[in-house]
Amino acid sequence: MSGRFQRRSILGEIVGGLVLAFLVMPILAVVPASVNNASFIKIPPEAYSIRWYGQFFGDASWVASLANSAEVAVLATVFSVTIGTSAAIGIERLPSGLRSLAVGLVLSPLIVPVIMISISLYYVTRTIGLYGTPVGLALSHSLLCLPFVVLNVGVSLKRLDPNLVRAAEGLGAGPWRVFRTVTFPAIVPGLVGGATFAFVTSFDEVVISIFIAGYGAKTLPVKLWEQIRVEFTPVAAVASTVILGLTMVLFVLGRRVTMKKAAAVGTEDAWR
Amino acid sequence: MSTSMHGVAFRKVSKSYGAVTALRPLDLEIQPGEFLTLLGPSGSGKTTLLNIAAGFLDPDGGQVVIGSRDVTALPPRARNVGMVFQNYALFPHLSVFENVAYGLRVRRVADAELRSRVDTALTLVQLGEFGKRAINQLSGGQQQRVALARAMVIEPDLLLMDEPLGALDRQLRKHVQLEIRRLHNEKPRTTIYVTHDQEEALVMSDRVAIMRNGRIEQIGTPLELYDQPRNAYIASFLGESNLLPVHVDDASSGQVGFKVEGYAGAWSLPGGAAPLERGVALLLARPETIRPAAEDAPGLEAIVEETVHLGELVATRLRLNTGQMVWMRRMNAPPHELGKRIRIMWDPAKARLLPEEKSP
Repeated sequence: MSGRFQRRSILGEIVGGLVLAFLVMPILAVVPASVNNASFIKIPPEAYSIRWYGQFFGDASWVASLANSAEVAVLATVFSVTIGTSAAIGIERLPSGLRSLAVGLVLSPLIVPVIMISISLYYVTRTIGLYGTPVGLALSHSLLCLPFVVLNVGVSLKRLDPNLVRAAEGLGAGPWRVFRTVTFPAIVPGLVGGATFAFVTSFDEVVISIFIAGYGAKTLPVKLWEQIRVEFTPVAAVASTVILGLTMVLFVLGRRVTMKKAAAVGTEDAWR
Repeated sequence: MSTSMHGVAFRKVSKSYGAVTALRPLDLEIQPGEFLTLLGPSGSGKTTLLNIAAGFLDPDGGQVVIGSRDVTALPPRARNVGMVFQNYALFPHLSVFENVAYGLRVRRVADAELRSRVDTALTLVQLGEFGKRAINQLSGGQQQRVALARAMVIEPDLLLMDEPLGALDRQLRKHVQLEIRRLHNEKPRTTIYVTHDQEEALVMSDRVAIMRNGRIEQIGTPLELYDQPRNAYIASFLGESNLLPVHVDDASSGQVGFKVEGYAGAWSLPGGAAPLERGVALLLARPETIRPAAEDAPGLEAIVEETVHLGELVATRLRLNTGQMVWMRRMNAPPHELGKRIRIMWDPAKARLLPEEKSP
């Protein structure tokens, strides 16, 4: 009996490990590929070199796309955090029936196929003159970023003791002051968490970007995609490594800020 | 020092949540500087009334008046009411000092004055040295006192406390009860205190309003409520009581004649505040008003079931003919033998007849 269970759990561990490996290995493979000396992708590299990094950062079009990505991601983060936080606060005050409807609406971009969103946004942005602009792309990305902000901030809001708000009101504070001095400090962990997700989501988004970016707002993932269709050089691996590295750094930073804030405020980590 | 104190009046205040009635139209006057306690079990409406006073809840009907100002339609921030919450509700990201200073900063009090008022308030609750501490560095009792200081420093017209000692252990609770009463004596301010703990109510209050099912059953000083309860509910809510079923034969004159269930013989007592009718009623005799009957005087026969020594007090549990247990409590009395038959009598000056308790 116990032997069978043990065998099963070992098998489970092997399968789990393999799944993880299949998921992670290709991602990590870009790192050695980017330091390859040869002119083609080869893993493991026969000789190491950082000459492709030189080429990446020496090429104005790559650097411009990286800058575009950063600009769009920052804008998308600002948009989605502003709108998402207001939405989360509003949703928290709705009666329960309306609340689930509103949450469903906010989360729907995660369910609706991205290609459909892209096509409709393509027409809309063309009509109103936002096509190929960083602002237009950032607004489009905000659709995908919003759910993360609303969910993260919503979790923080749920943990906020309603008596704290009442205490502040009772002491004479108006709505804006209550938000600034009580609500905001309490939702900082959720805000940072949501902002990190929003930034990363926008930074490596590719489907919407291909449709909306045009020439004016060509982001790194779009440039990478175009490049790979023409030739598959180690510069592509460098670009992928840059995206991977930035994403990871942001997550680690965001996580540290969130945990520190959570410890200071005495609430739990909103990411858990 | 605030020069004028304000009374508070609730006029025909009512509130229901859907089909549940939390407050029946209720009238209540609180004198300037009075410490009034709302005492009752959960669901009796006491917290609803407190939240209406603070402005966190809108009444369905009626008026709330503080001083001469009708505040019914005003939001909490316009009422100048101090509130102490059961869970303290201290701002976790602010220091002790900033927590207490919060209401003063809202009022744009100048820095020097703010500093001295916060320091005074913290000294008053004996936390003078704790200003720089973070909230999570304080014990429950200390947090409770910070909450008190935060509510008092704004010189509220009305101070509200919602079971503020509920989360403290028994020892600490007794200490803080006396502390709150001391603060009130030093500087009386109109206070409404909500609790379900009768001892708290008796120790601290000028007057107690006992609530049940959204109405005030009786209001009075602790002594009045203890000595002259209007019904059996009040009697059993405040202090220990023996309630003996009796049959009222004659309630027409000032003296009410009655028989005790399970015993022969007729008794009489002066009529109480509540009108009695012929029929079933209850005789209230507090344990300390019961004593052994004299040799040849009338009394009720009872069997000694248990004796408990509480220091100088001896509590004796007695079984009546009907099987009902009653307690007798006496100072410095020799204990009775277990199983012995004795005759007991109530103090006619202290015993009261109460109407039969109808289930609400």
